[in-house]
Amino acid sequence: MVTGWPTLWNTVDNVFLFIIAISLVLLLGITATMIYFVVRYSRKRNPHAENIEGNTMLEIVWTIIPTILVLAIFYAGWKGFLYMRTVPDDAMPVKVSARMWSWSFEYENGRKSGTLKVPAGRPVKLIITSEDVLHGLFIPAFRVKEDAVPGMETYLWFLPHEPGSYDLFCTEYCGVGHSAMITKVEVMPEKAFAAWYEVKQPQKRSEGTSKHAPTAQKEKNYGVGARLAQVKGCLLCHSLDGTAKVGPTFKGIAGRKTVVVTSGKDREIIVDEVYLVRSLLEPQADVVKGFPPIMPSQKGILSDAEIKTIIEYLKSLK
Amino acid sequence: METNFYTYSGKHRGILAWILSTDHKRIGLLYLSSMFTFFLAGATLGILMRLELIAPGPTIMTAQTYNAVFTLHGVIMIFLFIIPGIPAALGNFMLPLQIGARDVAFPRLNLLSWWFFITGGLIALTSLFTGGGPPDTGWTFYVPYSIRTGTNVSLALFGVFLLGLSSTLTGLNFVTTIHRMRAPGMTWFRLPLFQWSLYATGWVQLLATPILGITLLLVIIERFFGVGFFDPAKGGDPLLFEHLFWIYSHPAVYIMILPAMGAVSEIIPAFARRTIFGYKAIAYSSLAIALVGYLVWGHHMFTSGMSDASRVVFSLLTFLVAIPSGVKVFNWVASLYRGSIQTDAPMLFTLGFIFLFSIGGLTGLINGALSVNIHIHGTHFIVAHFHYTMFGGTAFAFFAALHYWFPKMFGRMYREGLARVAWFIIFIGFNTLYFPMFVLGWQGMPRRYYDYLPQFQTGNIISTIGSWILVSGLLLMLFNLVRSISKGEKVGDNPWGATTLEWKTSSPPPHNNFAEIPTVTTGPYVFK
Amino acid sequence: MAELAKTSEAVHRDYTGAKIGMWLFLFTEILLFGGLFLVYAVYRTKHQADFHTAAAELSVAIGAANTMILLTSSLTMALAIAAIRRSAKTASIVFQSLTILFAVIFLVNKYFEWGAKIGHGLYPNSPELLAQSHGTILFYGLYYVMTGLHALHVLIGIGLLLTMLILTVRDRITNTDFVKLENSGLYWHLVDIVWIYLFPLLYLIT
Ligand code: HEA
Ligand code: HEA
Ligand code: HEC
Ligand code: CUA
Ligand SMILES: [Cu+2]
Repeated sequence: MVTGWPTLWNTVDNVFLFIIAISLVLLLGITATMIYFVVRYSRKRNPHAENIEGNTMLEIVWTIIPTILVLAIFYAGWKGFLYMRTVPDDAMPVKVSARMWSWSFEYENGRKSGTLKVPAGRPVKLIITSEDVLHGLFIPAFRVKEDAVPGMETYLWFLPHEPGSYDLFCTEYCGVGHSAMITKVEVMPEKAFAAWYEVKQPQKRSEGTSKHAPTAQKEKNYGVGARLAQVKGCLLCHSLDGTAKVGPTFKGIAGRKTVVVTSGKDREIIVDEVYLVRSLLEPQADVVKGFPPIMPSQKGILSDAEIKTIIEYLKSLK
Repeated sequence: METNFYTYSGKHRGILAWILSTDHKRIGLLYLSSMFTFFLAGATLGILMRLELIAPGPTIMTAQTYNAVFTLHGVIMIFLFIIPGIPAALGNFMLPLQIGARDVAFPRLNLLSWWFFITGGLIALTSLFTGGGPPDTGWTFYVPYSIRTGTNVSLALFGVFLLGLSSTLTGLNFVTTIHRMRAPGMTWFRLPLFQWSLYATGWVQLLATPILGITLLLVIIERFFGVGFFDPAKGGDPLLFEHLFWIYSHPAVYIMILPAMGAVSEIIPAFARRTIFGYKAIAYSSLAIALVGYLVWGHHMFTSGMSDASRVVFSLLTFLVAIPSGVKVFNWVASLYRGSIQTDAPMLFTLGFIFLFSIGGLTGLINGALSVNIHIHGTHFIVAHFHYTMFGGTAFAFFAALHYWFPKMFGRMYREGLARVAWFIIFIGFNTLYFPMFVLGWQGMPRRYYDYLPQFQTGNIISTIGSWILVSGLLLMLFNLVRSISKGEKVGDNPWGATTLEWKTSSPPPHNNFAEIPTVTTGPYVFK
Repeated sequence: MAELAKTSEAVHRDYTGAKIGMWLFLFTEILLFGGLFLVYAVYRTKHQADFHTAAAELSVAIGAANTMILLTSSLTMALAIAAIRRSAKTASIVFQSLTILFAVIFLVNKYFEWGAKIGHGLYPNSPELLAQSHGTILFYGLYYVMTGLHALHVLIGIGLLLTMLILTVRDRITNTDFVKLENSGLYWHLVDIVWIYLFPLLYLIT
């Protein structure tokens, strides 16, 4: 269980409890009546049934009462919703960018992070978008969720109370890495946050880290290309040590012989630069045999320069 | 004595006498058997998913396989089992019998529908083994993922398109039949309630399915030609797809539940030996559900980025659609009052249905409340909700109806004791399997997750154990039914003492249904 | 009720039933196109200006000609049915053939129209089109999909009408049993009506 749920989110919890209470009364009432009738009017006890065609008064009663109940529930849900959609003026804006399968958070001063770091006690507004497909940003502890939609900005806000570390999930299905697209919300004491926020950011710790982030030490040994491969999520599917993950390993990729399927036909090729570029931009053109054609195209996601850097890096992997 | 429709010899012999038959009873049984085969395939996938989720981390399959498995599980269960389930299988068999007709209005179209069904199903299954591998989009086929992934989505979509066509044509056939072919004296308010529900369902099938058809076609076109409707890079709007998809797929849930409600309204009077309480209220509420159900699709998109105003309106409408469902539940319970009740297997399944559907429906209210939905959307809470409505609701009613009409269809009876034991195991297994998902969802476990954090493990273990209990119950039930088709005890034409027209002819019915078309003089549930 | 008794005995000669069935089917067809009209409406409101300029590129002349052709074919179709009612078999055959002829001319026109656009490099996913604004891409997408789906219906209609023609020649459609022809006529009018909506939406509203 997630601990320390801030109490403010009673807008959700209370409505939930309210509906549960109504539902329980109805459910227990219906079930008890049903069981009582079945026992009391069993064929043994009551061999002769009485034909009762209906009762207009009753029909009216059990139309009106549920109507009142559901309107009440609607109102409660709506009230809570209004609150959830009205962002306080002093909320700290953070830009969120989702991509297969990592999150990236950008602050007003340009600072970027792969975990969402926020100061306790100050409302936060997330402005969310996606670089590729639909994702959903969900922080159970704060009862908030909103989809990340490519080509569109959505938003949500919440008030983190207690310092602590909370889960952040992706709730809109987005491919193989969907269940790994999780990170943390770090709610920090005001001072600690300020200290983190003001620090000049070393360029290389710039962007999104996922669950599989390597340690800082390892990262130092990689070049720019290595960092890109990490940050852009390649290493979620490709290993560096020769094991096959979702996709073929990067180890010794340049110059190796590979059997690919091109429009339904097998052919053997030798991995060269042209092929590598095509693998990145049109991964479904040549699909390595034995692997599913699910590699996301990097077209429009990696710049030309980045593609070059990554390919140089791939070639260096012996 | 006329021969029954099994022994009737028409133009063709052997298997052809079935797959080319235009007899609605044979077509009904064709649907029943093909649908059950698909159900077993879908159920096996369900069991595999539960096994995978027994512990965090990889257990028995890879993430990609898991994604394919829940996609196919969803597609099979929705389009191949639950939508055709009651209307196409049992509806086909019972519709002409219950209104005192010799067949449906368009018998050949009826056979064509089955052919579309079986072709669509086989194509959807073929997508598993060909092309880029099984589709991995979820049964909702959300863009842009579904236009980007290289898996065999187009073929699966085409299969579903055919299934939709089949469903539309069945709806068309049923609506026309009910309008035109009622026996003399069978006025609208003497129609059995099952017919009312099929009528309402028929309209939903007619009015909603074409939208699904065009939407799926657009995705296929998008994948082949890159037209751009759903690709944000070309100006396309993913939200538009969600709207189009749910304009069909919400009404579709009423295609699933309405016939189930109709079947329940037949069984209760038969086993309580008394007339149904509030006939007109139940009949009208079917229409009301069909009507309002058309306007609430947006409740699947409360976190999609749709405008706040639309969310509020859709939430309000969602609550309105719950009222007629409530009316039905209350009338069913009232129909037990002062009855003379016998709790045979069909009745047990029916009582189970009322209980489980109420849970499913009431949690639907939780889903529909705006602020709460924000928290539980996309979590296992939703998974629990729809298994309670679809499985606990529709499938339980389907099982009830299957036991109820079993002697009608086969002229034999299953073993009552075994059926009751199976019911009990299924009921327990069902709740053990799905109830923990409500808790998991509330705690924040997202759906379509191959892997989960350790805090969610307890619920998942209980749930997986529940799936095994459920399997044993279902297998027992199936064993009992299948065995009794040939070995069951022979029973008379009307073992339950029910009053609707289908029981007025022999069991199994003759090829022409009735030696002489009956004339109707009273309502459907008049017990002496 | 007496009428009902008759109809359920004589399953296969229920004209009203057959007509109801056809009308319901046409309903589903309208909804099929309705989905596309919805897509059109959404994107049109989003990209007013782009749709405006893109629509101006289409040839109103060809569009108008095709509209006239389809309208005329609807007329000949109605005449064919009227003829069979009067037992004027030859006249009906002539009118049916004319309808088919008009349908073919419509498709030929369409072929040239599409051909010209494709010749200019304007087809879905073409480099030329992708270089244009989002609204233009969507407009052409809609243009091809909507007229394409419509053309498919014209093709099906031709097949249907040919069948009817054969049935008429073989006296299977007569002045007492012509509901098939009537239903095909209804279908043909639907194809016509859909075009009546497509024409202004794609060609005229600029
Ligand atoms: C048979 C299928 C079926 C049925 C009948 C229903 C019935 C209802 N459903 Fe459900 N639903 C699904 C199948 C079904 N649903 C599926 C498959 C999904 C998920 C799809 C996906 O994302 O994959 C879904 C998802 C879903 C959502 C979206 C959740 C989300 O993704 O965020 C919502 C939200 O409002 C919802 C609401 C409702 C409501 C209000 C009803 C109502 O019709 C229920 C009415 C019934 C009752 C209320 C109970 C009986 C009444 C009483 C006991 C007494 C009366 C009481 C009162 C009225 C107070 N459903
Ligand atoms: C009618 C509809 C229906 C039915 C009956 C079921 C039945 C089952 N479903 Fe269902 N399920 C859906 C419709 C249905 N499902 C849908 C629409 C989804 C959403 C998919 C998506 O997200 O896209 C879903 C998603 C879904 C998930 C969520 C996946 C996720 O989000 O990560 C899970 C997880 O446990 C699950 C489990 C099960 C199980 C264990 C059963 C069991 O109850 C099955 C029980 C049946 C049996 C056990 C039968 C016994 C027979 C055998 C075992 C066969 C033996 C073999 C042969 C003889 C061939 N389903
Ligand atoms: C969904 C997981 C996934 C991600 C993320 C991913 N790939 Fe791939 N990749 C695959 C799969 C699966 C294949 C094999 C099938 C194919 O060729 O399309 C593949 C193939 C390749 C190949 C060809 C390999 C060979 O052996 O011929 C290259 C090169 C490649 N990917 C590079 C990358 C780079 C660079 C990135 C990050 C920008 C990346 N991939 C991200 C799954 C992925
Ligand atoms: Cu990102 Cu799911
Ligand atoms: Cu819904």
